[in-house]
Amino acid sequence: MSSTAPLIGVAGLGLISPLGDTLDAFQSRILAGASAVTAWQLDLPGIDPVLLPLARCDFDVEAVRNPSRVPADRGTAMALNAAVSAWQASGLDMGGLDTERVGLYWGSGMAGAHSFDASCHTLYGEHKRLRPTTVLTTMPNAAVAEISLKLGLRGPSLTYACACASSAVAIGEAVRALRGGWIDVAVVGGHESMLSPAVLASWQAMRVLAPTGPEGHLAASACRPFSADRHGFAMGEGAAALVLETPAHAQARGVRHRLALSGYATNSDARHISQPDAGGQIRVMQAALRDAGLQAKDIGYVNAHGTATLAGDRAEGESLKAVFGDHGVAISSTKAVHGHLLGAGGAVELVVALQALQNECLPPTAHLSQPDPSFALDLVMGAARPAPGLRHVMSNSFAFGGTNAVLIASLA
Amino acid sequence: MTPDIDQTIAQILVDKFHIEADRIKPEAALEDLGLDSLALMEFVFAIEDAFQLRIPEDRLDPQQGGITLHYLAGVIREHLGSKPGPAGA
Repeated sequence: MSSTAPLIGVAGLGLISPLGDTLDAFQSRILAGASAVTAWQLDLPGIDPVLLPLARCDFDVEAVRNPSRVPADRGTAMALNAAVSAWQASGLDMGGLDTERVGLYWGSGMAGAHSFDASCHTLYGEHKRLRPTTVLTTMPNAAVAEISLKLGLRGPSLTYACACASSAVAIGEAVRALRGGWIDVAVVGGHESMLSPAVLASWQAMRVLAPTGPEGHLAASACRPFSADRHGFAMGEGAAALVLETPAHAQARGVRHRLALSGYATNSDARHISQPDAGGQIRVMQAALRDAGLQAKDIGYVNAHGTATLAGDRAEGESLKAVFGDHGVAISSTKAVHGHLLGAGGAVELVVALQALQNECLPPTAHLSQPDPSFALDLVMGAARPAPGLRHVMSNSFAFGGTNAVLIASLA
Repeated sequence: MTPDIDQTIAQILVDKFHIEADRIKPEAALEDLGLDSLALMEFVFAIEDAFQLRIPEDRLDPQQGGITLHYLAGVIREHLGSKPGPAGA
């Protein structure tokens, strides 16, 4: 694509997050650096008991009725709520749309894991049979099935699974479909809810979760991205959704969107299944800039992938420095407060970047006081930073498996 | 219909399938209560759990419509046989 690619308007946002379920609550806690992370004890036969850092949502899955009437997986229920909120915020009415041209592009890393873990426990632990709808509750595309049933979307209904980059890829692919004229409107985003024992035990085994102190009292500040003493991340859960619209479609209904998506790129490291690769990250950021028709100096804020693992932040520090130069752009990672939402991370963090753009204010990296001295980055830390005149922001998502995705948002 | 069986069936329909209580009558067909073939499978599953029994597929095929609550109660009563009674009832 070139600089002539149309900006794709953001018509509505919605989320379910550990920091609240309204955009206002989410934003105020992001800007305040208020952590949602608490300690939770994983105690199962065969493994050492451990307190894990988790960012849970205050969310009642029992209150959600799937339109299919199939029992809702916790993540699916979050996805459905976020998508409906975004749709309502968009002001679009399905009755007046060509529903075949409304797409659904969604991401999740381990969709259905919560319910599948519970099902395995029912079978292996309680020695009980499984419900007839188990497959329909746990299948990875359950969320898009329920959202499309609920909203009556008849266009492409796609689920992307690329670990931590899932929803960023989903959003970017929707941008391409909208630019290409295949659809007029898209509901996009991602969800993740995998805070269940077997899934957490799997992540714990990988040694990427931050220590929470002997009694869990250090949980809130356990995740410290870009810090010299960083030790991994906190697992989060939630969902975020956006409604995207082509400028022509918006114009036809007399609407002009202030926030827009201007650039996207995705690539693969093809180097290692879990080790991040600065080279792949540099290439994908540069490709996204070309896609948006922008130069590095045009970007005023980067919401980094910033997982707070030793290797992850080291690679991203190197790639950011290569693309933007020493202290070349304001950077923060908000994973410190909302945790790592895996497949939902790209969508949630794009919301952070869009809110920064809308309010000309950059969120801090919470719990960061001593940055790793090997980085030469302009890290927003301590408090939110005013950014008058901010026009373009970037959100990075770099996944296990080597998939990288970068989204750029701009004021239209 | 046996009151206990009746009551348990009604409770499942209200709690798990969100059917309005005043629509639940002996002559009501499950299909007419809005339970499609998928919901019928879940309903039969819940009934079997509640009464701790297994209903042979040929007696209560969830793929078939037209099963009334009266018929269902009869099948349950027949299968309970010499059992002490429905769970929790």
